[in-house]
Amino acid sequence: MASHSVIDELKKTQILELLEQGKRVDGRALDEPREISIETNAIPKANGSAKVRLGDTEVLCGVKIQPDRPFPDMGDKGIFICTAELLPLSHPTVETGPPQPHVIELARVTDRGIRESHMIDLSQLVIEKDKSVVGVFADIVVIDYDGNLFDACSYAATAALLTSTTPKWTMVDDKPTLVDGEESPLPTTTIPASVTMGKIGNHIIVDPNGDEWDSMDARITITTNSDGNICALQKGGSDGFTQEEIVQCGEISVRVGAKIREKLKEAQQGSQ
Amino acid sequence: MENKRKYVIPGDLVTTGPFRPEQNVILEGNKIISTSIGISEIYDDSVRVIPLTGKYIPKIDDLVIGKVLSHTSLSWELDINSCYVGFLPAQDVFGRDFSAHADELSSKLKTGDLVAARIANFDRTRDPLITISDRDLGKIDSGTLVKISPSKVPRLIGKRGSMIQMIEQATNAAVTIGQNGWVVVSCESHEGLLKAKKAIQMVNEKAHVANLTDQVKKMLESKSES
Repeated sequence: MASHSVIDELKKTQILELLEQGKRVDGRALDEPREISIETNAIPKANGSAKVRLGDTEVLCGVKIQPDRPFPDMGDKGIFICTAELLPLSHPTVETGPPQPHVIELARVTDRGIRESHMIDLSQLVIEKDKSVVGVFADIVVIDYDGNLFDACSYAATAALLTSTTPKWTMVDDKPTLVDGEESPLPTTTIPASVTMGKIGNHIIVDPNGDEWDSMDARITITTNSDGNICALQKGGSDGFTQEEIVQCGEISVRVGAKIREKLKEAQQGSQ
Repeated sequence: MENKRKYVIPGDLVTTGPFRPEQNVILEGNKIISTSIGISEIYDDSVRVIPLTGKYIPKIDDLVIGKVLSHTSLSWELDINSCYVGFLPAQDVFGRDFSAHADELSSKLKTGDLVAARIANFDRTRDPLITISDRDLGKIDSGTLVKISPSKVPRLIGKRGSMIQMIEQATNAAVTIGQNGWVVVSCESHEGLLKAKKAIQMVNEKAHVANLTDQVKKMLESKSES
């Protein structure tokens, strides 16, 4: 993961040889994500939280909701900010210190998927226009790394937001004041599902595991909303995708995303 | 003679008497005290503690499997599954007439390549010096890398190589064991490879079990019938 992780050539060759036969190292189909388990309310004191395991990748997301000043140009909308962090215990190559570029990218891609799908109805999160709004902060930590943090973080943040409850505030003496005992679910409109695909040789694989991630030539993360429309996309890696491959990736992301959305819905219903 | 194995933690008294302290024990007066968590073994004249877990600590003349991480114009850096990075000088590969201007290191070994190597020198004050200029050493072109705990390597080899010989004979695989816990398995048949890998993993997981050899043998035989 971190930029120093080096995969041995024998494994890389093996991954490519298996892909030529249409197989993957862990026996999955090319468009099959790893097993997902979502545990909601993993942090009892947070407004919402979720722990997601995607194969051997494990991430934890906590949501904090509190009053905040609005952005100057967005006085009629609440605030949503998503951050991500890698813990040194997640992988031998991860060190403490300021976030590296790939971690910043991780937070941004996760944030963008949720923001651009308009999952949270931010217009409902206004306490007083231009003065005070509700801020929603989703903070993600990666506990265990085995490839594809984009999707794991996205599912964790989405599941945490879906199960979040927001307290109520009113303006008293020009200050937001908590109204005791009034809590409501966070207003959401859609469920974004991110699907990350890797390209190894000419093969497109969904949800690459750690070894596949290290031997990938290029990757693409596509987030779709509940209507099956693409709302965010991020491409990485040094190789490119042909036009046909992009179309293929789009179709896969809609199809696989729909299945994942069901899992997220199940997690939401299970927590109620 | 008492060769009773027992579990010890750092500070535990292993035994007293005229013994030579070997790995992971210190001598204080005539007391031999453990310095790590592991199983103590008392031989005729020596005492050692086999640690339950831990990274590989290089020892001169150990055979290790290394993975090329990067190179400078003069040397390669190898991952040897240790807290130290293996240092392989270019002269060792190119010979004495190596020239940093004329020779390109990546033409011989590139990032990600696996090598069978030996620890040529190590004294804890600098990174271990690695050599591949010997018979059976050098780049590994085929096989699969299996990672086990370095502390379980003696168990995988067995008494006078009994365990590994059994695995090799039953599966027809060639197994190269690095003392650093990295093992390269190569086999003509896919089934043999899978079985050998499974056997190695079994040793790794059940290294503390008493009749492990029998269990591994049973597993190897049972699969060969099906």
